[in-house]
Amino acid sequence: MSTHVCRLAELRDNAPTVLRTDHGDIVVIRQGDEVFALEDVCSHAEVPLSEGDIADGSIECWLHGSRFDLRTGEPSGPPAFAPVVTYPTTIGQDPAGQPVVTIDLTAPSIP
Amino acid sequence: MGVSDNAVQQTLAGTRSFDVADFAVPTGREEVWRFTPKAAFKPLFDDAPSDGQLAWETSLPAGVTLTEVSAEAAAAASPGAPIDRVAVLAAKHSGTAMRLHIPAEADLREPVVVNLTGVDAGRVVWGQLLIEVGHHASATIVLRHAGAAHYGSFTSVSVGDGASLDLVSLQEWDDEAVHAGHVSTRLGRDARMRSIVVSLGGIVRLVNTVDYAAPGGDAELLGAFFAGAGEHLEHRILVDHNQPHCRSNVVYKGALAGDKAHAVWIGDVIIRADAVGTDTYELNRNLLLTDGARADSVPNLEIQTGDVVGAGHASATGRFDDEQLFYLQARGIPSPVARRLVVRGFFADVVRRIGSDEIEAEIMRSIDGQLATLDDGADAEMIAAYETVFSELVESSVA
Repeated sequence: MSTHVCRLAELRDNAPTVLRTDHGDIVVIRQGDEVFALEDVCSHAEVPLSEGDIADGSIECWLHGSRFDLRTGEPSGPPAFAPVVTYPTTIGQDPAGQPVVTIDLTAPSIP
Repeated sequence: MGVSDNAVQQTLAGTRSFDVADFAVPTGREEVWRFTPKAAFKPLFDDAPSDGQLAWETSLPAGVTLTEVSAEAAAAASPGAPIDRVAVLAAKHSGTAMRLHIPAEADLREPVVVNLTGVDAGRVVWGQLLIEVGHHASATIVLRHAGAAHYGSFTSVSVGDGASLDLVSLQEWDDEAVHAGHVSTRLGRDARMRSIVVSLGGIVRLVNTVDYAAPGGDAELLGAFFAGAGEHLEHRILVDHNQPHCRSNVVYKGALAGDKAHAVWIGDVIIRADAVGTDTYELNRNLLLTDGARADSVPNLEIQTGDVVGAGHASATGRFDDEQLFYLQARGIPSPVARRLVVRGFFADVVRRIGSDEIEAEIMRSIDGQLATLDDGADAEMIAAYETVFSELVESSVA
C-alpha cells in the first residue's frame, strides 16, 4: 500500500497510534486538526517511539531521552543525532463526509 | 564429570530447548535482541510452516555422506539444543534435516562444499543441518549462502574425539536476504575446530555456540564481515568452558562503510567452576570507513574459577587512521589505493587462515567491490595500475 488512510475520529489527541504498514511501523500523532506521521523507531537504538511521551511538539524516546520534532523528525540532542523519517499527511473527507487522514508512504522525508 | 552444582547463577548461558514455548516472540528489550532490527526478522518469528527451500549444490569427497533424516532423529542426535526462537522454529518446521557425516579417521584432501542459494526473495525457508565428524577425522567444510530468502536455520556440529574440523561459513547474500541461524558445536576429547564466518551481504544474525564433551578441546572462532549501507550484520558467540583444560580463541574483524551500516558483535565466554586450566581469549576489531556507520561490540566473560591459564577479551572500534593515510599519500599512493591496502591488511590475518586460495580470492574480490562504492570519481585505471604493481610486489616477496 502506498498510502494509508484512517478516520480522524479514530485518533485521540496527543496520543500515539501505531500503524503497521508494508513500509514498517508508523507512529501517528494527532494534535487538534494536525496529524503527524513518523517512522516508529528511534534513530539511535531499536526502540519504538510510540512508547514515549509527547510534549512541546516532540515525541520522546523513553530509553535514552532524545526528543524528535513531530514536523521535521530532527532530534533535540544526543544520544540521537540522525533524524527519523516523517511522512506527509493530508486531511480530506470520505464519501460519508467524515474527516479522514491520508498518509503518503511513497514520500518519506529521507529516501 | 562436567558441570558441578554451585551457588552462582548462570547469566550468559541462556535457555536451550527444542520447545517453542520456551522462546517468546522477541520484544526487543531482551539483552540478546536489543540490537536487532525486529521488523526485518519478523517473518522468522512466526510459528508457521513453510515449504520454501534453498537450492542445494554439493561437492562431497569419497566417504562423506549427505543424507536426509527426520527432524526427530536430528534432534536426538544433536549435541545441543536451539538457543533462540528462530533456531527452535527452524528445528520444528524444517520437516527433515540434512545429515552430513564424515567417517571416523577420514583424512579428506578436498573440502566438502555445500552451496545454498535462495531462489525466492521474501520466502521463508526453514533449515536444519546436522554435521558429524567422526573421531580422528580431518576435514574442511565450506557452507556458502547466496541469493535471497528469509532463511532461519539450526545447525548442530559434533566433532569427535581427536578430530579436526575447519568449518567455513560464507554469507554472500543479496541485499534483500534475511538470515538468522544458530550453529551449536560440541567438541570431543582433544578435538579441534576452526570456524571461519565471513558475512558480506544481506541482513544476518548468526549465533555460534561451542561447548566441550571432555578435556583438551580447542576452538578457534574467526570472523570477517563488511557491512555496507543499510546492512545489518550481527554475530553472537558463546563459548562455554564446561570442561577443564580446553582452549578457545575468538577473533572477529569487521569493516563498515555507508550510511546506516550496522554491525553487532557479542562475545560471551563462560568459565565454569571446574574448568581449571582454561585458556581463552576473544577480540573484536571494527573499522569505520565512513560517517553514518555504527558498530556495537560487547565482550562478556563470566568466570567462576581463577585457576586458569588465561582469560581475556578486547574490543576496539575506530575510524581509518589519518596517520596511516598520510604516510601512504606522502609516498605517492593515492587515497583510494591506500584505503584498499589498509583494509586488505586489516582482514588479512583472518581471511588467510581459510586455507583455500580460491575462496580467499573470492572474499577479497567482494570486499574490493564494496570498497569501490566509496571511490568518488576516482580513476579506475589508476587503481588497477597500482593493483598490478602491488600484487607483483607481494608475489615476489613471498616467492
